[in-house]
Amino acid sequence: MLQNRFGRLAATALAGGMLMGAAACGGGEEPTTSASPTGGATSAATSGSGAKVGLAYDIGGRGDQSFNDAAAAGLDKAKAELGLAETKELEAGSGETEAAKEERLRLLAQGGFNPIIAVGFAYSGPLKKVATEFPDVKFAIVDDEAATGPNISNLVFAEHEGSFLVGAAAALKSTKNHVGFVGGVEVPLIKKFEAGFVAGAKAVKSDIKVDVKYLTQPPDFAGFADPAKGKTAAEGMFDAGADVVYHAAGGSGGGVFEAAKAAKGWAIGVDSDQAKTAAADVQSVVMTSMIKKVDVAVFDFLKSAAAGSAKAGTTVYDLKAGGVDYSTTGGQVDDIKAKLDEYKQKVVSGEITVPKE
Amino acid sequence: MKSAESSFADRLLGRVRLTGLLSLAAPLLAIVFAGLITSVVLLVSGDPPLETLGVMADYGTQPRSIVLMLNYATTYYLSAVAVAIGFRMNLFNIGVDGQYRLAALVAAAVGGAVTLPAPLHIALILLVAMLVGAGWASIAGLLKVKRGVSEVISTIMLNAIATALGAWLLNKERLAVEVAGSNNIGTKPIPESGRVAGMAIIPGTEAKVFGLIILAVVVGVGYHVLLSRTRFGFDLRATGRSESAAVASGVNVKKMVVTAMILSGAAAGLIGMPQLLGSSYSYSLDFPTGLGFTGIAIALLGRNHPVGIAFGALLWAFLDTSSSILQLHEISPEIVAIMQGTIVLSVIIAYELVHRYQITAEQRRVSKELAGGTPPRVEGASA
Amino acid sequence: MEEAVISTSTPAVELAGITKRFPGVVANRDIALAVEQGHVHAIVGENGAGKSTLMKILYGMQRPDEGEIRVNGAAVAFRSPSDAISAGIGMVHQHFMLADNLTVLENVVLGSEPRKGGIAIDFGAARKKIKQISDTYSLGVDPDALVEDLGVGARQRVEILKVLYRGARILILDEPTAVLVPHEVDELFGNLRELVREGLTIIFISHKLDEVLSVADAITVIRRGTTVASVDPKAVTARQLAELMVGSELPSPETRESTVTDVVALSVRNLSVHSPDERCIVDGVTFDIRKGEVLGIAGVEGNGQAELVEAIMGMRPAEGEIRLGEEDISAWSTLRRREAGVGYIPEDRHRHGLLLEAPLWENRILGHQTRRPNVKGPWIDRAGARADTRRIVEQYDVRTPGIDVDAAALSGGNQQKLIVGREMSGDPVFLIASHPTRGVDVGAQAAIWDHLRAARAAGLAVLLISADLDELIGLSDTLKVILRGRIVADVDPQNVTPEQLGSAMTGAGEAA
Repeated sequence: MLQNRFGRLAATALAGGMLMGAAACGGGEEPTTSASPTGGATSAATSGSGAKVGLAYDIGGRGDQSFNDAAAAGLDKAKAELGLAETKELEAGSGETEAAKEERLRLLAQGGFNPIIAVGFAYSGPLKKVATEFPDVKFAIVDDEAATGPNISNLVFAEHEGSFLVGAAAALKSTKNHVGFVGGVEVPLIKKFEAGFVAGAKAVKSDIKVDVKYLTQPPDFAGFADPAKGKTAAEGMFDAGADVVYHAAGGSGGGVFEAAKAAKGWAIGVDSDQAKTAAADVQSVVMTSMIKKVDVAVFDFLKSAAAGSAKAGTTVYDLKAGGVDYSTTGGQVDDIKAKLDEYKQKVVSGEITVPKE
Repeated sequence: MKSAESSFADRLLGRVRLTGLLSLAAPLLAIVFAGLITSVVLLVSGDPPLETLGVMADYGTQPRSIVLMLNYATTYYLSAVAVAIGFRMNLFNIGVDGQYRLAALVAAAVGGAVTLPAPLHIALILLVAMLVGAGWASIAGLLKVKRGVSEVISTIMLNAIATALGAWLLNKERLAVEVAGSNNIGTKPIPESGRVAGMAIIPGTEAKVFGLIILAVVVGVGYHVLLSRTRFGFDLRATGRSESAAVASGVNVKKMVVTAMILSGAAAGLIGMPQLLGSSYSYSLDFPTGLGFTGIAIALLGRNHPVGIAFGALLWAFLDTSSSILQLHEISPEIVAIMQGTIVLSVIIAYELVHRYQITAEQRRVSKELAGGTPPRVEGASA
Repeated sequence: MEEAVISTSTPAVELAGITKRFPGVVANRDIALAVEQGHVHAIVGENGAGKSTLMKILYGMQRPDEGEIRVNGAAVAFRSPSDAISAGIGMVHQHFMLADNLTVLENVVLGSEPRKGGIAIDFGAARKKIKQISDTYSLGVDPDALVEDLGVGARQRVEILKVLYRGARILILDEPTAVLVPHEVDELFGNLRELVREGLTIIFISHKLDEVLSVADAITVIRRGTTVASVDPKAVTARQLAELMVGSELPSPETRESTVTDVVALSVRNLSVHSPDERCIVDGVTFDIRKGEVLGIAGVEGNGQAELVEAIMGMRPAEGEIRLGEEDISAWSTLRRREAGVGYIPEDRHRHGLLLEAPLWENRILGHQTRRPNVKGPWIDRAGARADTRRIVEQYDVRTPGIDVDAAALSGGNQQKLIVGREMSGDPVFLIASHPTRGVDVGAQAAIWDHLRAARAAGLAVLLISADLDELIGLSDTLKVILRGRIVADVDPQNVTPEQLGSAMTGAGEAA
């Protein structure tokens, strides 16, 4: 771990100081050892009986306190409970080509890793190609249904449904009839969060004001890792009169929490239960979180693969399946829990259809 | 007869040999130096340097990796040529990045929207890409000429604007369509007639080299011919070597600035084409970014020379390709970024040293050769 | 040569047989020089004669290849300026080396800080010492003034004081008047007399003859890198001194026949150039140059000559009318003017005349990149350009091992010959020759003059700008004097002396 930290540090310092080109094109890839607690390179030492699991992250990788981390948590759980023989986690570089992603998956497949999980929709095209080349290897991809095949499991989430619930929570808690949404990068995936949130808020109060702000535009994905930008955006909303702000901005969410704390407002977390995972001093402002259970999806897939029952095709982790939900840590939404569960029930039963965009 | 003799000797022993040896020595020394620094970093981070390099070389020379390398190099080469066109006249087109992204987006949209017979379809897409790249770059050129805005500043700004504009255009209400079942969003895929098939020319693998590698070769040859064989190229190089002398010789420097930016932008427009027409067929959220900056490094590495750039692009691509394997061996792939950075730095320093050495060596040689028949010429050597 | 100064005591500085070679040139050859104590000893010579190299040798900045330096009778070998300083030699550079945002005191002690108890700088002692030096030599320097608040003359006195502070007894002043206005020059000379009265020795480098004659106790003339004469200023005239400086190469106007015709080749009417801050740099200049005529423009540098030339070349926006033959070319681009037959030997060949890091044959193309034999249509005609470069090298005696060497490898004279050859080969009808022989060796100078005369005889109209008055007088058919951007006088080159011309250049009667 220490070694790798040095490597990362040295690379950042050197590449940054040296040349824009180097920094811009090669600097993104993060070294990722498998997360075995011994810090050893390869965790072949564990049980030796189970599968060799390969995991390919999108940019950010393990440690992004968000989406990739959730996948990592699922892997860690599987390792602990399923006795995996070996795990290998690779990570994307910024701005890389599909060919690079393809090669990453192929290297895993060639290395005998099976099953292999690709985290993020960017792996869609490459995964499809590599899965055809290695028909005996089980693949899974998170957040994508486009890549299909007999050996591909698509793990997708109904983020809009979860967002609907926290949208309703925001509207119920807002005293100023004014809430906000901070998106990390304006991509279709994050727009699903926005759509659900807005629908949820309006379902409670049709005249509620919802501010929407995206931090960056693709291909600039800095919006997922820039707390300062998140803070500025959220401050703007609180200043304008909002009192609850929901973020779907990955690492930038920390800034939203800080802004909420300063403005004595509420923030809503995303992906994991951020009242537990956020920095200790801002956990108290996290009213609730929209939980997207990537860890559950990853673990489920690994479990079924271990059992030889991995199912090809799409598995939707929606409200009904418990793949998305809202959190109650801290008890801030206890007073409205009944109402929220009512909405939840309506969504599950199909009485309410939450728009995706 | 004496002069004929010495000019032969000159070619055999003098300038030519000196230049040849030194021009080879400089990059070699630079690479050795970069290797040393990388080794130190590897040692400090606890990885065995030789083994690491071995792993990289091993993987990098597999047939499939060679194909990958060629494909990367194709793109890098185009990018570096685009940058080099500006460099040759001291124009720093930092905006190649924005130019190619915007060009690829618009070209992809146009290519996806029409159906034409194959060669025409491809030609149309390439033309659109060049026009968009050139148009975007010309803004910086015009700003410099009309308002004296440094092209460094304006192209960086234009990169940011291109990002915003690209995001705005890549929307379902405008140029994009949703990919079914995916969270990705991209332009409508270019139909078969607009695609350029890959070529399986590397034995031992099914993987295909971008068909548009030929485009890179054509651009390289065109760059060379334009620069060293045409009046325009002469004016461009003259402006780069000495703007004041170029002005005095009748070169319209303002016109040259705009023209060079347009050419640079047009070349930049082509950067995304091998990927677009050979692999993605659509400009989507995961279209490669940052290639313009890679081009800057490679143009420096290749000394703006068409052949030098080719070697630079291949080296860079080799390093990029072989970095994939490092993660698998639990070695930080940043090692490659460090290598790339040190190589560029060392090459710049090495060439500067060699260049200075060569100037004094040549002056010495000239005065030595002239010393024989003629009386010593007397001149003030004061500054 | 006359030995006007009779040595009675050991000379303060004595040089014997000093030779210094640089790649391609011999900057100093067999220099012999004796400087008496308590004298202002002037060393004069043309630009490029080797004065500065000599001084750098004396100050330890360069080491001679041969020869001996004796200071106060003892042979010395300086490895660095600090050796020279410890031998009591100090140098006041032409360009001041002072930090603007420090006080005089801080500037003076910089590098030789007096220590109090080994650690703290003893400013008190330094201030006292500076005051004392200033008073002794009437320098009038306030140790606590900020350098950026001082005028040029005062800064120069600070430089002198700095050198004295370090204990110098022999001062080298390199072209000290170049940066001064006339009354500052007088003040400086007053200070110098004060210094020699106190027993110091001053070596004064200049190429301004009037100044030298007024201040020096002894004069040594350097020409082509060697000392050619030591003279008594009381016994020579400026004209004689000039002849010593230039040697026998002074052109002789008498032997020349006029080739001036009636056909006007270039006609300039009311040409004005404004600087970006709206100052008038060239002010309503009007003249005609006929075929076969050389029009000389005399003037102290910086009076608009460079701008005038650039306006005629179309490199600088200007008002007024310029006609080449019948055509009004005022609105033409530089390229079109060149194509129409305007040749240009620029003042600064490195900036405007050459691509130093390009081979000679590419330099042949420069300025002629639209014309044969250099190009065919849009293509560069390498063979044609190379063949013609060889012709120029041969005809104009450019000393080079080949046409593939970079222009930077050639000596100044050979670079200039290449430029002259190039500009003559475009069949020019009008040639601008701006300081055509500046910084070139004597052989090249004579050759360039011959080429200009030959072209003039063949009907070329020439605009000659030069700081070399003898060159102007010798080559020109017509002479005009420019002052502050205006033509202020017409002078007949047949009947004018350099002295008369010199005083006309500074404005009537203002000259020293």
